[in-house]
Amino acid sequence: MLKRYGKSRGKTVSIWFEGQPIQAHEGESVAAALLTSGVKYLRHAQVSAKPRAPYCWMGVCYECLLEIDGEQNQQSCLIAVKDGMRIFRQSSAAENT
Amino acid sequence: MMEKTFDLVIIGAGPAGMAAAVEAAGHKLSVLVLDEQPEAGGQIYRSVNTTERLRPETYALLGDDYQNGKKLQLSFHQTSVTYLSGTVVWLVESDRTVHFLRNGSTNQVTASRLLVATGAQERPVPIPGWTLPGVMGAAAADVLMKSSGVIPSGKIVLAGNGPLLWLTASRLAEAKAEILAVLETINYSNYLRALPCLPQALLANEFLLKGLRMKSVVRKAGIEVLSGVTNLHAEGEEHLQKLHYTHQGKPRIIDVDTLLLHEGVVPNIQLSSQLGCEHDWYELQYYWHPVLDEWGNTSIDGVAVAGDVGIVAGAPVAEASGHLAGLDTAYRLDRISKKQRDDAAKFFRKKIKHNNAIRPFLERLYSPNPEILTPKEDSTLICRCEEITAGQIRKSVELGALDLNGAKAYTRCGMGQCQGRMCGLAAAGIVADTLGKSPREVGFYRGRPPVKPVTLAQLAKDENETIVS
Amino acid sequence: MKTADIVVVGGGIIGISLAYGLARQGASVTVLDNAKGMYSASRGNFGLVWVQGKGLGMPRYAEWTLEAAEKWHNFSQELTEKTGNVIDYEQPGGFEVCLGEKEWSLRKSELEQLRDEFPGGNYDNQMLDRKQMQEYIPEMPLGENVTGASYSPHDGHLNPLKLLTALITALEETGAALDTDQQVESVAYRKKCFEIKNAKDSYYAKKVVLACGLGIKELAQQVGLNIPIRPQRGQILVTERTKPLLKYPFVTIRQTHEGSFMLGASHEEVGFDTETTLDQMRNIASHAVQTFPELSRLQLVRCWGALRILTPDAKPLYVESETCPGAFVVTSHSGITLTPLHVNLLPKWILEGDAPGGFEQFHLKRFDA
Ligand SMILES: Cc1cc2nc3c(=O)[nH]c(=O)nc-3n(C[C@H](O)[C@H](O)[C@H](O)COP(=O)(O)OP(=O)(O)OC[C@H]3O[C@@H](n4cnc5c(N)ncnc54)[C@H](O)[C@@H]3O)c2cc1C
Ligand SMILES: Cc1cc2nc3c(=O)[nH]c(=O)nc-3n(C[C@H](O)[C@H](O)[C@H](O)COP(=O)(O)OP(=O)(O)OC[C@H]3O[C@@H](n4cnc5c(N)ncnc54)[C@H](O)[C@@H]3O)c2cc1C
Ligand code: FES
Repeated sequence: MLKRYGKSRGKTVSIWFEGQPIQAHEGESVAAALLTSGVKYLRHAQVSAKPRAPYCWMGVCYECLLEIDGEQNQQSCLIAVKDGMRIFRQSSAAENT
Repeated sequence: MMEKTFDLVIIGAGPAGMAAAVEAAGHKLSVLVLDEQPEAGGQIYRSVNTTERLRPETYALLGDDYQNGKKLQLSFHQTSVTYLSGTVVWLVESDRTVHFLRNGSTNQVTASRLLVATGAQERPVPIPGWTLPGVMGAAAADVLMKSSGVIPSGKIVLAGNGPLLWLTASRLAEAKAEILAVLETINYSNYLRALPCLPQALLANEFLLKGLRMKSVVRKAGIEVLSGVTNLHAEGEEHLQKLHYTHQGKPRIIDVDTLLLHEGVVPNIQLSSQLGCEHDWYELQYYWHPVLDEWGNTSIDGVAVAGDVGIVAGAPVAEASGHLAGLDTAYRLDRISKKQRDDAAKFFRKKIKHNNAIRPFLERLYSPNPEILTPKEDSTLICRCEEITAGQIRKSVELGALDLNGAKAYTRCGMGQCQGRMCGLAAAGIVADTLGKSPREVGFYRGRPPVKPVTLAQLAKDENETIVS
Repeated sequence: MKTADIVVVGGGIIGISLAYGLARQGASVTVLDNAKGMYSASRGNFGLVWVQGKGLGMPRYAEWTLEAAEKWHNFSQELTEKTGNVIDYEQPGGFEVCLGEKEWSLRKSELEQLRDEFPGGNYDNQMLDRKQMQEYIPEMPLGENVTGASYSPHDGHLNPLKLLTALITALEETGAALDTDQQVESVAYRKKCFEIKNAKDSYYAKKVVLACGLGIKELAQQVGLNIPIRPQRGQILVTERTKPLLKYPFVTIRQTHEGSFMLGASHEEVGFDTETTLDQMRNIASHAVQTFPELSRLQLVRCWGALRILTPDAKPLYVESETCPGAFVVTSHSGITLTPLHVNLLPKWILEGDAPGGFEQFHLKRFDA
């Protein structure tokens, strides 16, 4: 549960999360854009499949991994949004065993 | 096309890495700087340029400490240094060939000398329930303001200790975020331990004043501040809902949406340990750090360290230590004489001495909360990736594990994608506690590549290809 | 002074297996290990229970391996019932892939030789061409270089760390002592009794079993045995977890129960060095991706180097000292595979001299020539 502080002069950017369009601003990370628009978690834990969300915001914890434009395991806290990005949660190994 | 060899390759473009680059380039060395962030600046000056350009209110909120980064960033960009952003170093070989990932493919470059300036990370705080969405680091919240201009919404509690806890609390208070409380986990004996170091700290009283200012911002905002808080416990189903804690012997519960935890920062030693540098245990702050000479050289020939990765001492010291490493590199590669190096070093040594005056005080006052150094409750998750609990780690000791690597083999603790960054210190604390040894004796995870994960395709293709810049 | 009927030196998979077996036969057993971290063979291995390809030039070993594989199913069930520890054992049959025509014809002739040598002649490994192989694993498209594979229905895999944990738990339930902080420094034979010493203590035992892997060489000399073993490094890569993709274990590629892929291992003569090297990591990754292009996108999260314990012919060595009777040496590559036999058959030999048929073939004497 996050919100933007102040106004952004950045261009509006449209990204897609799980097939739904989301508005973001140039210069924001993918993880920040998703959590400010009401997304509550980004991944499932590997064993228990419980929901997880970013903890470190700096590339250390790997709790922000998403599939971005077809590439698995992207650290979405380190990646800036781009217009038209297609983003999905990853299927957890736990869900399949 | 870019060169395949450089006089100096620097990993990390924080204050330490940028300063070293500026110094070395000033002595006509060829320098390459690699950093995984989109912009140079490190943790303190993260995205300073983007923030100024796109988010003026955030830029103003972050204040002088942040805006000062522009100066260093500018002088860094004015040099002849080759700088690659968005570049992750995942392995360094003993001949100082540096392997990195950029735009989805791997590449490599060789250094005559290597500087590891990878900074610090926030110490993970494994309390029960810390894996719930809604729980994150307090410095992490600060990172979020810098990188995206975003702050937590809803009810916020900050818990833990250290200057960065107060920095984040004061910034969020100024941003009019809804902070319910700041819960300090330090206990009163810390004040007694720290007190004798106060006179020395007064030599650098600007830092003490800064600290007092941050606290007064929080108090003026009417935020409750409690000290000596214990038994933190986050609760919720799919998301954080409640925080349990004990204050003055009484258990308390509050409804909360965001919990920001902080117990200081610790060196980022993945690369220095993968390289096999000798490390030592720093008892006062409970972390491992590489052993260095007065110029930042490690036990491995041609590999030096600058900034927080050597010892956590903040941005001004990081910057000065970067200059020292740059000077020493210039000397060792015959660009300047020994005397020139030593003379030029005096200015930076003085700066370090001044800034370090406050450290003995701060490090005693803010020694990390013992409850998170050796989490007592067996069900607390320690390894977030493999979901290994404190109890499982204790059990591995009963089965015969005698050190952290032994516990890792029995439990899978530290075997996930984060490479042990999140569990290492707490797991070591538990192993040490169970064995009745000190963390120094149980050691740390053996550093192995990849320092950050690469795909099999990227690894298979990591040939001696030329680099396109 | 500490005493036991038998002291087992070495707390790897072989030492623990023997100690467990001995204790179950009623012996009082003490295991001494120096727990030198996690890169011993028993912790750093690949986790295969493997039959195919084993025993070229020594049919008794091919038989021995097959016998072990046949016992694994019951053995793992018993172990789980006893300890509550699951070890992820499965025996779906296993493959060894061939890349290129040359590998295929080489493998084929090896297999024919094994079949010719095999006692009784019912050796049921077989060669599969690319198409036959793909039929087993339709969901995993083969790389273009794949020419086929050898296949054995007896092959399987397990989690070796869980196996070791389960065996230690079972051992401790027998009441036997396991001390993991004991570096054994000397073994002396005195009046039909052994004195086993480390820096702190002395242990006295009627028998001593040296099952301490690469540590055997030095100690065995003190009981009159010259043991020709050497380390050989194997590097192993592990990927992130993913959904179940590959049902069958391959010699070089297997998906674990947790979902990660294990890839490896290299064969390097580099002494006691357990470092990893980029060229081997690259080779292993490239082999995996050539076999199954599907694996390309998986992230490498871990790798290590561990040391095999190899005799000159890479086959087991089971020997009792002639000059110091009561001192035994047990070492083997493929120590995971052979576990049920080490637990169930070797204790009788150690306690009563009651050895399985053809056992003398595993003696040191085979290297005399
Ligand atoms: C989360 C966090 C927030 C902080 N915020 C503040 C603050 O607001 N004010 C303050 O005074 N101090 C802050 N600090 C303390 C801060 O670390 C120091 O003041 C200062 O930034 C240290 O400088 P440095 O150059 O040593 O390292 P850093 O500034 O940490 O720079 C290290 C750089 O190395 C890069 N890096 C690391 N590993 C790799 C790799 N494998 N490949 C490529 N690049 C890599 C990182 O991206 C980073 O840019 C913060 C620390 C942390 C951990
Ligand atoms: C890379 C690799 C892959 C492998 N893959 C497979 C496979 O898929 N399937 C299979 O069946 N086998 C496999 N193996 C072989 C198998 O791992 C070994 O055969 C088996 O682990 C040997 O066990 P051990 O107990 O003899 O030796 P170790 O595991 O080496 O145990 C010996 C123990 O003795 C201790 N020790 C040594 N000296 C002393 C001393 N002086 N005092 C006290 N303690 C001492 C050591 O610390 C160690 O704990 C593999 C091996 C490697 C290296
Ligand atoms: S939030 Fe921790 S790695 Fe992205």
